[in-house]
Amino acid sequence: MSKVIVPIGPQHPLIKEPLSIKLFLEGEEVVDSMLRLGYVHRGIERLAQERSFVQNIHLVERVCGICSHVHTTTYCQAVEALLGLEVPARSLYVRMLLCELERVHSHLLWLGVLAKNMGFETIFMYAWQDREISLNIMEKISGGRVSHAVNIVGGVRIDIPEEFVDDIIGGLAELEAKANELLNFVEHDKSFHMRTKGIAYLSHENIKEYCVAGPVARASGLDIDMRRDEPYAAYDQLDFSVFVLTDGDVWARTLVRLLEVLESVRLCRQILKEMPGGPVSASAARRVPPGEAVSRCEGPRGEVLYYIKSDGGQNPARIKIRTPSLTNLITLPLQLKGLNMADVSVAISGVDLCIACADR
Amino acid sequence: MAFSAYVFPGFMFIVALSFLFEWFDRKLIARFHGRVGPPWYQSFADFIKLLGKEDITPLNTSPWLAAALPLTAFASVATAATNIPVAGSQLPGFQGDFIVVMFLLSLPSLLYFLAGWICSGVYSTLGGNRSLLQYFSYEVLFTLAVSGAAIAGGSWTIIDIVTQQSVTGINAIPQMPGLVLAILGLIGKLKRAPFDIPKAKSEVVAGPLTEYSGKKLAIWNLSIQVQTVTGIFLLVNCFFGGLFPANRAIQLGLFLLLAVGLQAALSLISAIYARLRIDQLIHLTWRVLIPLTLVHISYLVLA
Repeated sequence: MSKVIVPIGPQHPLIKEPLSIKLFLEGEEVVDSMLRLGYVHRGIERLAQERSFVQNIHLVERVCGICSHVHTTTYCQAVEALLGLEVPARSLYVRMLLCELERVHSHLLWLGVLAKNMGFETIFMYAWQDREISLNIMEKISGGRVSHAVNIVGGVRIDIPEEFVDDIIGGLAELEAKANELLNFVEHDKSFHMRTKGIAYLSHENIKEYCVAGPVARASGLDIDMRRDEPYAAYDQLDFSVFVLTDGDVWARTLVRLLEVLESVRLCRQILKEMPGGPVSASAARRVPPGEAVSRCEGPRGEVLYYIKSDGGQNPARIKIRTPSLTNLITLPLQLKGLNMADVSVAISGVDLCIACADR
Repeated sequence: MAFSAYVFPGFMFIVALSFLFEWFDRKLIARFHGRVGPPWYQSFADFIKLLGKEDITPLNTSPWLAAALPLTAFASVATAATNIPVAGSQLPGFQGDFIVVMFLLSLPSLLYFLAGWICSGVYSTLGGNRSLLQYFSYEVLFTLAVSGAAIAGGSWTIIDIVTQQSVTGINAIPQMPGLVLAILGLIGKLKRAPFDIPKAKSEVVAGPLTEYSGKKLAIWNLSIQVQTVTGIFLLVNCFFGGLFPANRAIQLGLFLLLAVGLQAALSLISAIYARLRIDQLIHLTWRVLIPLTLVHISYLVLA
């Protein structure tokens, strides 16, 4: 049988961001695929060398449209390490609160995209309606739904007033109830199982070979989570669990993410309860001394790494950003091999695409 | 004669209803999703808008053939529609019109496949292949399941099947499995979710209709809408015939109510399942549903 080439992207209803995957089909089976990235490369790392340490906060917030807060957190941590600055405890809790809310919002958005791509519009709508709750909470806290502009070098820009806490707790309770419904659906719905179980399998060895991070790695049995393995902010003072499954398919990735949503909601409550008093920011020196710093955070998609080198000047000498989306994306040709054409959409959605992160 | 062919219960009535049914479907699914849904004239407005859009025929495609396919599809479903009794009134039927209607209703699926085949686009071709594969699975199911009513009525004429039921009682109760199987077959025929495999947006964009635009696409959409209403009316006649009290207005109201009920069932099924894969659909129909239908038909014939 002759091979048919099916182009997916750079413009295709399946992916909203520009990514190109060429599928080589024999009948309905994918025998090979070719991945091409770089359509939204913006040269952020180079651009960062042209801007001062403070201006760069706004720049790195725009690396990703979904997990914007975790990028600024990681960046600010690195700059604070260079300055040797002690950050007030309360600001760390505000940062963690937004990080966890962002994880909820990112995972629910992803579930909606997955459901849409497998032709299950109802779950798409439900997941995105539930996501609105987390967006509303974030808007209440920071004034922004997706880009919060909360982090500054030395702490955070905003405080969480006492009168907001009840509202946030109420929103969290609602979110928990909705997320439990979605979890129940993922665990029990037959037609969802038919489309996700055993699809796009990645083994433990594949995960290690490709350096896959985040929920995709945890769904294949790799027990990693930066929050626990190398605690940043004040995660060492919080009590939470990391979920690891061994199925390695799209269904396991869905389950891991939904369990994380519930865990994040619990974490938010804990953060609000244990939040210490005091100021939310410390004044930081303008001039950053020469040196190097590495900062790592657990974003919704996995480990985010920032390397910053300062030569004592006004601007950083070099910034390297490593996002989890790129390593997760690279596994796509491996996942797609041997799949049915109809499962390609599920497999591509399963890794949680973020082309903006991957290209930078 | 001309009135019943063109106005009621013929062409105009069915086309007007098909817009309303499509709106009802979209509105209901929107409510299931937790959305607001479109206003009542939305499907008509969409039709008018498409008529005014630029009509593009891809290179290497015969413009005559590209235009003939939607028109033939529409002509066949419209002919089928005028031969379906609405609340007992129709054009004077003829012996064996049941078979003709079944044929005319299945014709658009073949034309749909051809629409994918005449375009050289890869999505159209893939979608066309899928629609043909799907055709072999649901068509047998639908035809067998609906034939149960004809076997019980002892006639291949729709109006006879309807009047027979006023003596024996409606078919829906003794033939409940037949009705359910026929609804599943109809979903496959109409390529509705969860059997919308040939036009799965995230895989093959819009399937065979990917390269269609403007007026031709409008006619395609209209013929699929008319096919929906006609299929639903056929099921109402075959499974709920004879439920007709003397008053004409009540008769028509009851008939439309049953049709709306079936449309609601279709919408509900669309909203609560994920799309199947083509191999899963074929396994489902040939290993489960068609054997069930055969058991059902054998029971009807032997009992």
